[in-house]
Amino acid sequence: MATQDRSAADLPAIINAENLQSNMKSIYYSRTFLSIIGGVVAGIWGFTSFTGFVFYFMVMLAASFGLAAKAKFSAGSYFDSWNRILLDGILGGLMSFVLFWTFAYDIVHIF
Amino acid sequence: MADDLVLDTAIRNWVLVPLSVVMVLIGILRYFVSKLTRSSQNPDAKAIKEGQAVIRARNLRSGSHLIPSKSFRSRRIYFTNEENGLLYVPKEDAQKAQAQMFQDPNMAMDMMKKNLSMIIPQTLTFAWVNFFFSGFVAAKIPFPLTPRFRAMLQNGIDLSTVDVSYVSSRSWYFLNLFGLRGFFSLILGEENATDDAQKMMQMSGGGGFGFNASQSLGVEKDSLDILQHEWALPKMEHRAKDVLKNLAKKL
Repeated sequence: MATQDRSAADLPAIINAENLQSNMKSIYYSRTFLSIIGGVVAGIWGFTSFTGFVFYFMVMLAASFGLAAKAKFSAGSYFDSWNRILLDGILGGLMSFVLFWTFAYDIVHIF
Repeated sequence: MADDLVLDTAIRNWVLVPLSVVMVLIGILRYFVSKLTRSSQNPDAKAIKEGQAVIRARNLRSGSHLIPSKSFRSRRIYFTNEENGLLYVPKEDAQKAQAQMFQDPNMAMDMMKKNLSMIIPQTLTFAWVNFFFSGFVAAKIPFPLTPRFRAMLQNGIDLSTVDVSYVSSRSWYFLNLFGLRGFFSLILGEENATDDAQKMMQMSGGGGFGFNASQSLGVEKDSLDILQHEWALPKMEHRAKDVLKNLAKKL
């Protein structure tokens, strides 16, 4: 495996840019969706302060794992690097998460 | 935080939920309005030609390792030579294009429309929120903040004993403003009008608009010129060997 990685790294990757874009888009959608759902769940369960953010990052970790599993653990055949699956868009959903977290938390626990 | 404040349910029914609903509806309205007002530009043949040349040059660059050096060089010369290369733009032409761009009223009009459709609803909503819903606690954010945020989040409350995590409706407005972006991209699809920052970037980058086509021609020409060509075929044997080895291992 290691030798293959090395020789593959020597070659410029052969990637269809449009397909890559569409894959990245679906990752973005799933992460946004998950951050909204996660926010609602965190609010209903009444997480506050640090716990909520930990919950968000756990959701994102689970999302990364799920995406990796969906890509059959070979990122190379769908993306140009592992970071696309593991890291991209993690912080982008944070604002949505906070919004829906606050909303659900207020409705369930405050009023 | 010994005892929680109890907020009136009327606040939820008449402030929190309506504010969110209004912001979602405004976002959707803006999407459709910007869709309607988008003026259909008549594409001009020269701009399209240049755009296609750029795309072809880009394809050559990204696929350069698939062809032998000689073929690559001849293609490069076809694109970048200084007499009649596809990507070569004479100096005076470039300046002319720029001047034309500034004179074109359609372009300025479009830009203004976009900016207005972004600014006007935001200003109006902000004024509306400030005018009607100020002076009381509207929500509690579920994480603590330092007292420094008090002036920003609790304007119009002026009680130093209230915990900072209780915020007024203005902060709820800002939370909506930033948080709904992801929501819009889910319900309206990719090219929604709310993603203004990206749109601005695209505009100044200017591929599809023929915005500064001559400039992108020049950029493409430069990057084609400095490309170190390397043919992948000689290395393919190693790769094939690896692949076959892996295959043999699996069997």
